[in-house]
Amino acid sequence: MPDSPILSVQDLQVTFATRQGPLRAVDGLSFDVAPKEVVGIVGESGSGKSVSMYSVLGLVRDANVQINGSVKFQGREILGLSDQEMQPIRGGEIGMIFQDPMTALTPVYTVGWQIAEQLRAHSGMTKQQARERAIELLGEVGIPDPRKRVDRYPHEFSGGMRQRVVIAMALSCNPKLLIADEPTTALDVTTQAQILDLMLKLQDSYNSSIVIITHDMGVIAEMAHKVVVMYAGRPAEIGPEIDVVRNPRHPYTWGLLGAVPRVESRNDRLTTIPGNAVSPLDIPEGCAFADRCEYRMDICTKRPQLKGTNSHLDACWLSDEQRLTIRSKAVR
Amino acid sequence: MTDEILLKATDVIKTFSTRSKKFGRPHLATAVNGVSLEIRRGETLGIVGESGCGKSTLARCLVQLLPTTSGSVFFEGTEISKLSRRGLRPLRRKMQLVFQDPYASLNPRRTVGDIVAEPLRINKFGTEEIIRERVRELFRTVGLDVNSLTRYPHEFSGGQRQRIGIARALALNPSLVVADEPVSALDVSVQAQVLNLMADLQDKFNLTYLFIAHDLGVVRHVSDRVGVMYLGEIVELGEADELYDRPMHPYTDALLSVVPELNDTDAPRRERIILKGDVPDPSDRPSGCSFHPRCPVATERCAVEKPALVEIRPGRSVACHYPKNAG
Ligand SMILES: Nc1ncnc2c1ncn2[C@@H]1O[C@H](COP(=O)(O)OP(=O)(O)OP(=O)(O)O)[C@@H](O)[C@H]1O
Ligand SMILES: Nc1ncnc2c1ncn2[C@@H]1O[C@H](COP(=O)(O)OP(=O)(O)OP(=O)(O)O)[C@@H](O)[C@H]1O
Ligand code: SF4
Ligand SMILES: [Mg+2]
Ligand SMILES: [Mg+2]
Repeated sequence: MPDSPILSVQDLQVTFATRQGPLRAVDGLSFDVAPKEVVGIVGESGSGKSVSMYSVLGLVRDANVQINGSVKFQGREILGLSDQEMQPIRGGEIGMIFQDPMTALTPVYTVGWQIAEQLRAHSGMTKQQARERAIELLGEVGIPDPRKRVDRYPHEFSGGMRQRVVIAMALSCNPKLLIADEPTTALDVTTQAQILDLMLKLQDSYNSSIVIITHDMGVIAEMAHKVVVMYAGRPAEIGPEIDVVRNPRHPYTWGLLGAVPRVESRNDRLTTIPGNAVSPLDIPEGCAFADRCEYRMDICTKRPQLKGTNSHLDACWLSDEQRLTIRSKAVR
Repeated sequence: MTDEILLKATDVIKTFSTRSKKFGRPHLATAVNGVSLEIRRGETLGIVGESGCGKSTLARCLVQLLPTTSGSVFFEGTEISKLSRRGLRPLRRKMQLVFQDPYASLNPRRTVGDIVAEPLRINKFGTEEIIRERVRELFRTVGLDVNSLTRYPHEFSGGQRQRIGIARALALNPSLVVADEPVSALDVSVQAQVLNLMADLQDKFNLTYLFIAHDLGVVRHVSDRVGVMYLGEIVELGEADELYDRPMHPYTDALLSVVPELNDTDAPRRERIILKGDVPDPSDRPSGCSFHPRCPVATERCAVEKPALVEIRPGRSVACHYPKNAG
């Protein structure tokens, strides 16, 4: 019997009422995060990655939003909890890291004060204890000379250092789950490498699970155990990283992987996905990818359900034989 | 590609004077610190390096959108770094730029047809009828719908806007196109469309590209040769596959080793070299080799003696006292 999941998202639906009509930002997302598992969510801009995880955290503050489905954290339903009930969970048992570290930091307080406040809000520490722990945490995330830097302001840090501070804050309460939305997208590759390395090291020592959102398939391949590929708010494919990357099943995933220019070898021509991303106001009733899919069939006007063998699932009407034929023709 | 040198830069230096927030005294920041390179007609020279290393500043100096502090730039045999604004004017049309942010670089109040026609009108390309036909031709060339000429930039997606920027750059038949992070703002599938388009256009019009990006995969994909920049200097230069497969400079080596890979084959992954610290500030350049404080193989010599960019083999240069793969 495998460990019961830390996080279990079931049929999440997030719809915004807009002047132009209902906008389905997330439409039927389901996945589990096991203890110590790293789950990567990938997909193009607007595919609903951020909105889905903000909904999980109860952070979509919009009067026009309608959220349905179920989100269980350690077995407890947390969708629809009040801000007050979410308070001990957010920043406590669930840590958060955003693309822009300044989302989580305030420019007017020192970084040490901000980490200490977070600690005091979620534990019974005294001011002095919290400050000592803040210094310890800054050291753990690789900030040199933490005793001196603890009294500095965020603007005195580089982008990579600020992201380290945010990670220190996210980790301050030994979270069970870390949710990171594009944590390295704004950073250079050498800094990205430092941050990703740090996240994995800390995940190991704190035994936490991670959900990482990114549009970079390479980051997913290096970090994630499990991948969720999203298209137009829906999961197109979900499976173990190695299966999704080496043996992708959904035509959208084929396009996504073929479009990546590699550092390790040169490909003469990149695969492209024809057309543009669908408008979120105008997602087809059937397969959301149908308008751009070169394998579209009559049945694709009906919505394909996520299905598959074992843990590798996808939402596409193509049969196994059809996929085999298509893939054996596709030359690398 | 021919052997004809389209552009040649020698020891280009660009300093900015900035005022420090704290003390209010002027600082000198050397954004480009003695770059020499050649671009051959018909090739793509890629420039990679991390944020702030001077890629955009170098590109602007090479096409003289920014005056160089010292050094010389020759374009088609003319020393353009010596020319006045006026003297430069007839050459401008031959050197065009494509920018990263298609949103910011297109005037939101003008139709896309007018945006593409603008350089043609300024340069008196011909009668209005000839110009309009040229714009339609350009739209077809870059794969845009000719019926969308009267629409405004905000009605287009990021990839389509980048096509509009490319159409405008091609309007006057340039020989050199400087593309500064042209696909960085695009999703990977759209990025692939634009990269394929740029490759087709290069073949069709024998264009020469100076292609700047921080994405190492993109640069390998498009470039014939690649220059790696660190703190305003070219630290390694060579044929693209050569440089990627057998990097010589420890910085190139580290940079390539940390690019997240898809790992979809059984080929062994490069061993990751995680550099310590941040890129230093160009107003506070380290002594000796600029890279020495972060370099995993630095010795005392590196802290005092600055390595010159040396041609180790024909077409292959590196600025390091202890280059790898040099044998
Ligand atoms: N408050 C809101 N009101 C209306 N629509 C919204 C709101 N927030 C997000 N959306 C829409 O929901 C969709 C999903 O957005 P989301 O931010 O989740 O995308 P994403 O996958 O994170 O994209 P990116 O890679 O650009 O961050 C988009 O079409 C977005 O415009
Ligand atoms: N007009 C200016 N005044 C002062 N400093 C400048 C100016 N333009 C650039 N710089 C400085 O010169 C250095 C190089 O900047 P540049 O924009 O060329 O880098 P880049 O490699 O293009 O970076 P990015 O990848 O972020 O675009 C930076 O330290 C920058 O702050
Ligand atoms: S369901 Fe049909 S349209 Fe959708 S991805 Fe599969 S083949 Fe293509
Ligand atoms: Mg997002
Ligand atoms: Mg730049």
